[in-house]
Amino acid sequence: MELVDYLPIALLTLLGIAFAGVSLVLARVLAPSNPTPEKLAPYECGIVPLQEPVQRFPVKFYLVAMLFVIFDVEIIFLFLWAVRMDQFGWAGIATVVAFMLMLIETLAYAWKRGALDWNVSHRTRTRRVVAPEATIEKAA
Amino acid sequence: MGNASYLAVAFEGILLIGALVVLLVAVVAGRSRAVWAPIAGASFLLAALAGVLQWIEVENGGGGMFFSAQNLQVIKSPMVVLDGFSAMASIVLGLVGFTAMLGSWDLVAKVGKRSAEFVALSLLAFAGLHMMAATPNLVVIFIGLETASISFYVLAGFIRADVKSDESALKYFLLGSLASALFLYGIALTFAATGSLTIYGVNSIRDFFSETVVSDPGILLVGMALMLVGLMFKISAAPFHQWAPDVYQGAPSGAVGLMAAGVKIAGFAALGRIFVGGFISQIDTWGPIVAVIAALSMVIGTTMALVQTDMKRLVAYSGVAHSGYLLLTLLAGVEGMSAMWFYLATYPFMIVGTFAIISTVSGPTSTSSPIEAMRGLSRRSPEMGWLLAIFMFGMSGMPFFAGFVGKILAFIAAGDAGYIWLVVVATLTTVIGFAFYLRVVATVFSGEDDDTTMIDPTLSSRFAVVIGATVTVVFGIVPWILIDVVRDALPL
Repeated sequence: MELVDYLPIALLTLLGIAFAGVSLVLARVLAPSNPTPEKLAPYECGIVPLQEPVQRFPVKFYLVAMLFVIFDVEIIFLFLWAVRMDQFGWAGIATVVAFMLMLIETLAYAWKRGALDWNVSHRTRTRRVVAPEATIEKAA
Repeated sequence: MGNASYLAVAFEGILLIGALVVLLVAVVAGRSRAVWAPIAGASFLLAALAGVLQWIEVENGGGGMFFSAQNLQVIKSPMVVLDGFSAMASIVLGLVGFTAMLGSWDLVAKVGKRSAEFVALSLLAFAGLHMMAATPNLVVIFIGLETASISFYVLAGFIRADVKSDESALKYFLLGSLASALFLYGIALTFAATGSLTIYGVNSIRDFFSETVVSDPGILLVGMALMLVGLMFKISAAPFHQWAPDVYQGAPSGAVGLMAAGVKIAGFAALGRIFVGGFISQIDTWGPIVAVIAALSMVIGTTMALVQTDMKRLVAYSGVAHSGYLLLTLLAGVEGMSAMWFYLATYPFMIVGTFAIISTVSGPTSTSSPIEAMRGLSRRSPEMGWLLAIFMFGMSGMPFFAGFVGKILAFIAAGDAGYIWLVVVATLTTVIGFAFYLRVVATVFSGEDDDTTMIDPTLSSRFAVVIGATVTVVFGIVPWILIDVVRDALPL
């Protein structure tokens, strides 16, 4: 390997940096700069923002989303299997059933841990499967 | 091929079933750590036993490639291979996992309600780790890597109330994700260059190299380099090692042995599978890169370990140096694989044993473990003190301990491959390394006589440490038993 062989990569990197840099510099140099408070506001037109755009939202949605992803992925695999179902035969069915059982158990575990209960506080939720006990979280 | 194809995935299957059973018991029967202990232990031992069966199968000529969907007759891309390499990985990972689980049991007993998740994640992580060694498909290697990594991110942050544990998990997650992304990009570029994702089989990477003269290797080079970077990160080789000390220190002491040992084994197994199994014809290209990384690892790992005051950081930096020694075996190509497996079959037991002792001394949930805490250990707990000395001797490469034989084999492999300067560096760093290993030993055997706070190790950590020490001593005194075995641990 010669170092010369790396030249195209180096050129591409330089080109990328140069393009970004030149664009920024040209915009700074050529564009007229005349800032007013209105121009500096997040939205130049439209309604004046009343509150911070980033708000707190219940973490429950994230649990639901995670459970959704599990079954989303399951569907992807089921489609692939279903297309060629006749050729995979009983071995294929057994495999898919085993795969689904795994996901069902995951759901059962999450369910038992209270992931599907909407109006339960986190504290009671984690106590569901296993009785409270002297945990390190208390000690720490 | 018949049932052999199920034997090829027996390791993953057993651990997966073990993890599912643990979670099922947690759902149905509530909590009972007494149940999880035998399930986890039996899973690891059965998995190791499956590895022995795989080994016998391979020795009898029954190995090969599997899951090429024979009845479809169009796809000839194997997803699992059964060869000496993957069988050896089963045996080593199963036994190391069993020992590490014993060493982690103090932590499992302490995390209370979440202990089922700890056990299940450990089992799943090791299933992923073996997948990295047992598949010729680059994407499946990535899936195994992620299965293990994501489990380990969670284990690193298992003590949620401890800010350091959180920090450790977040650091591991961010940097680990970056490395995984680079690895994946490397796979994509390799695919672009060779037109194949699989190392063996029809239209494989090896076919590509044997049929084509690579005239314009630009994309291939970037692909191989990115895959190297991704795996080098996981094994914490030198320019990519910064995460290791922080993560080891911040993660709960009881979990680090499991993480550190497992990732080392699988990382090198994947490196061997990809670069020696698939890209061996390109060794002139990646050899010099690996040699430089190995030299950097040995020098940086050794010099940084000299100035550490924390036991866990010291072991982390010593792990960086050991990655360097292990990388020497890669340079020898196929001839180096037996040396690599000798190293991988002994060194992880030393890590696991050392962390079992750290966990006993500083507490399984501790996020720091100053070397000073080891002062007078030989009196406070004579067995732990002496066995820690054995591990330190083993890691330093003292004769009559397994680390010595492993290092000698690695040096011979690198020397045969023509990297004499690297052997010189390795020898020098080994000599310098004695300084910090012996400093720990000196601390263990010093201290005032009035400090008699006795430490009473639990039965499980005693077992873990004794198993680790047995491996260290036995294969140091009679190494040829293991050398004869690992001679056949070659990729297909």
